[in-house]
Amino acid sequence: MTELSKIRNFSIVAHIDHGKSTLADRLLEECKAIDHREMENQILDNMDLERERGITIKARAVRMKYTADDGETYDLNLIDTPGHVDFNYEVSRSLAACEGAVLVVDASQGVEAQTLANTYLAIDAGLEVVPVINKIDLPAARPAEVKAEIEDIIGVPAEDSPEISAKNGINIHAVLERIVSDVPAPKGDRSAPLQALIFDSQYDSYRGVIVYLRVKEGVLRPGMDVKMMATGAVYKVVEVGSMQPLGLQPMEELGAGEVGYLTASIKTVSDTRVGDTVTDASNPAKEALPGYRTVQPMVYSGVYPADGSKYQDLRDALEKLKLNDASMTYEPESSIALGFGFRCGFLGLLHMEIIQERLEREYNLDLITTAPNVVYRITKTDGQVIMVDNPLNYPDPAEIQLAEEPYVKASLMAPQEYVGNIMDLCTARRGEFKDMVYLDATRVELHYEMPLNEIIYDFFDALKSRTRGYGSLDYEMDEYRPSKLVKLDILLNGDIVDALSFILFADNAYPRARKICEKLKDNIPRQMFEIPVQAAIGGKVIARETIKALRKDVLAKCYGGDITRKKKLLEKQKEGKKRMRTFGTVAVPSEAFMAVLKLDED
Amino acid sequence: MLMLEKNQKTPLGIYVHIPFCRSKCEYCDFYSLGGSKEKGLTEDYLEAVCLHMKEAGALAPNYLVDTVYFGGGTPTYLGPEDLVQILNAIRRRFTVSNDAEITFEANPDSVNEKMLKRLKAEGFNRISLGVQTDDDQLLRKLGRPHSYRQAVQAVELARNVGFRNISLDLIYGLPGQTLTDWERTLTHVAELQPEHMSCYGLKVEEGTPLWNYKEAANLPDDDAQADMYLSTVRILKEQGYAQYEISNFARRGLRSRHNLKYWTGQEYLGFGPAASSDFAGKHFTIAPDIHSYIKGVKEGGPVLSECQEVPVRERAGEYLMFRLRTSEGIEAEEYMKQFLLPFAPLEALLQNYRAKDLAAFDGTRWRLTPRGFLVSNAILVELLDAQEHSTPLAKRRK
Repeated sequence: MTELSKIRNFSIVAHIDHGKSTLADRLLEECKAIDHREMENQILDNMDLERERGITIKARAVRMKYTADDGETYDLNLIDTPGHVDFNYEVSRSLAACEGAVLVVDASQGVEAQTLANTYLAIDAGLEVVPVINKIDLPAARPAEVKAEIEDIIGVPAEDSPEISAKNGINIHAVLERIVSDVPAPKGDRSAPLQALIFDSQYDSYRGVIVYLRVKEGVLRPGMDVKMMATGAVYKVVEVGSMQPLGLQPMEELGAGEVGYLTASIKTVSDTRVGDTVTDASNPAKEALPGYRTVQPMVYSGVYPADGSKYQDLRDALEKLKLNDASMTYEPESSIALGFGFRCGFLGLLHMEIIQERLEREYNLDLITTAPNVVYRITKTDGQVIMVDNPLNYPDPAEIQLAEEPYVKASLMAPQEYVGNIMDLCTARRGEFKDMVYLDATRVELHYEMPLNEIIYDFFDALKSRTRGYGSLDYEMDEYRPSKLVKLDILLNGDIVDALSFILFADNAYPRARKICEKLKDNIPRQMFEIPVQAAIGGKVIARETIKALRKDVLAKCYGGDITRKKKLLEKQKEGKKRMRTFGTVAVPSEAFMAVLKLDED
Repeated sequence: MLMLEKNQKTPLGIYVHIPFCRSKCEYCDFYSLGGSKEKGLTEDYLEAVCLHMKEAGALAPNYLVDTVYFGGGTPTYLGPEDLVQILNAIRRRFTVSNDAEITFEANPDSVNEKMLKRLKAEGFNRISLGVQTDDDQLLRKLGRPHSYRQAVQAVELARNVGFRNISLDLIYGLPGQTLTDWERTLTHVAELQPEHMSCYGLKVEEGTPLWNYKEAANLPDDDAQADMYLSTVRILKEQGYAQYEISNFARRGLRSRHNLKYWTGQEYLGFGPAASSDFAGKHFTIAPDIHSYIKGVKEGGPVLSECQEVPVRERAGEYLMFRLRTSEGIEAEEYMKQFLLPFAPLEALLQNYRAKDLAAFDGTRWRLTPRGFLVSNAILVELLDAQEHSTPLAKRRK
């Protein structure tokens, strides 16, 4: 048991790429929490995908011992947080487990929308913010200006903030000293009924779910019966302990103020929701810790195996992923075009991409995904209100009394010379301008209210390309608003391909229909006959392209020396065709589906 | 008795790969050393080829060689004596029929009267000349070491020396070439009255110099190549050439008997680096490396880069892939008897193609039309797929 005064619980808040994970590595090294030999870069991000994308997808926590300049040894608990808007709620729960946040700001880039959003979350959670200026070794570093920016924009003193380079290990010691001196020690009463906040959980095939938590009040011990206050699930605790960089360290107990884990042979993470409160089943706390909410998917998409016979494999893979990701949902659906698959719900586009990529990579599946859509609220003429998360279930226009779509509050930040570009983009995406704030002499934050549907189509890419990469975006759900919606169908060779249908704002139908037809024309290989590609609303064709018949696909030369090679070529072509989906007589490669998802602007 | 024995022998084609030429052309992906020639290499090569023939000949006593083909590279880049030496080795180690077709490839710049006379006298009776185009500017661009005028002279020379079976190679779809350019080339070249013509659509292969600048080469697109192909078939027909394979045309029945072996599943043996064989139920290919070839033959080490037994099921695939390249095409009875597979699944597809003028049926045999040839890969992929899913007849009878 560590005295409360010797514990510091903190997280690191940063914009993507500003060096959060690298700093975490350096802190671990500096505390000798990990042998240099074992030091794999970015040890906290232990999923391959995270390492490649340089982002943290799931929160992780780690405990390290640090002997400070005052001669005392402290337990430092670093709780890592995801850095993307899709995971806002998870971020907020991780922050609620801490007393302080190290704010990492890139010395050349300065404060960005995401930094701001996450910092506000930290301030709202009552955390002490400790600014750190990173990447001071870069030639473009301007630490003094960035410090002023932090003070002006965020309102946190930063004058004497450590100037560091996490990459080159410069000034890491100063960061640790700041954590000890500035982050308050946790408070809590060991004799009170148990209240522990779940900030993450992870499925392990040997131990069941490992629940990561912060004990706020009371003590947690193995053998106790604990209850999850929101889900009502009760379990007998098998093990408690702390998270070490390279594994879990069992302990006799976890007391108020401590960060650690518990295992209790829990079969699914659905029972251990992030934000829920763990209490003693025989002596429960009067109330749960504040801030819990059920996370609802915001974006839905159909996920199908490229090879129809892999349906069962896809189901197994989704089941396994779900063990670890309570925020993803999936339900079987079937499409005439694609056969059997699943309608999956995601927190946002990044979440969707991550899940799809993990399915393909970790479970070795080839997938076809349909265009993502938001959930529409439809009031039918008979007064019935339905939520539509699948274009296939969109009612006949004659039965619709009122159609509504979800709106978000979006804040966008960029150097002021891009304001015009951003405004054009937001207007084109049906954004309603709210206000604009000068953060400093050169940087501006714009606030818009806009349909979520407009953000899920490559909005972020469009923003980046119009601001030369400087623009950043953050958004939160707002409300449903009435809208003019239509369902657009795509026909190949005269037949509707149901998997390509989608719902959109009526005024966008023409340009998007044209673009989709063009994309399909470019991505479906020419075949032995001509193929019309059409887009239609309720049977009325509004756009058309034609894939011309294949004219030439021949091996001009084929003699003795070529025979084996030519045989292999034809075999390969045959296998390639097998990987395509056949609709009627038209073979469509999965790239064609992907291309429809990525409609370039301009 | 003697007659009978002779009749019992299996026909065999022999291919000799001569991996030497003056310089590599921009589009060429055959194994050839170009201008770089080490001292003594041709001698070593000749020795190896002849030794190789000695070994192989001993394994093929019951075969009758009825075609011999010297390809390259540029076989005539070697002098006539070297070619004669190899031909004599073949005669010594194999039984070669009296009316064997004996072809050599040549470039217009690599022949002269003396050479042609000598080769003719030794029994070479067919010459395949790489002309490619009548446009001197294009010839230079492609790295061809000759002019069109030289090509015309070479044809005249061969004629005068007494060659009665001359084949000319042409390429269409060349950089900047238009349909009119190509039609002019064809008509122009047909005036030389060759017995045989091979016309190939240019395919830019990876690893060739042209591959590296193909985007900038102003190459005619697929549609333009398709138009050129169809006009080739039309113009050559007008000129009296019958199409007997996707890219091959002949007058007076003078088809390449050697090349037909490749498309009709007959046996052939290849000598020299990169040469392939289909012999005794196996496909095998010699590694494309002259040094390993010489060393392997002389020291009894490995020379093959690939060797595969071909099961019947695969032969059935080859039957479709290669027979359908020819104007003879395929036949239900022949197919079912040879492979014990049903023809009906193929016929269903073929009927479809016929409705689209991609295939034709003469009451017995199915063949592809010129438009069908143009998309033959797509057609073959469908036919092979149908074949793969068909149940063998023998099993079904049970």
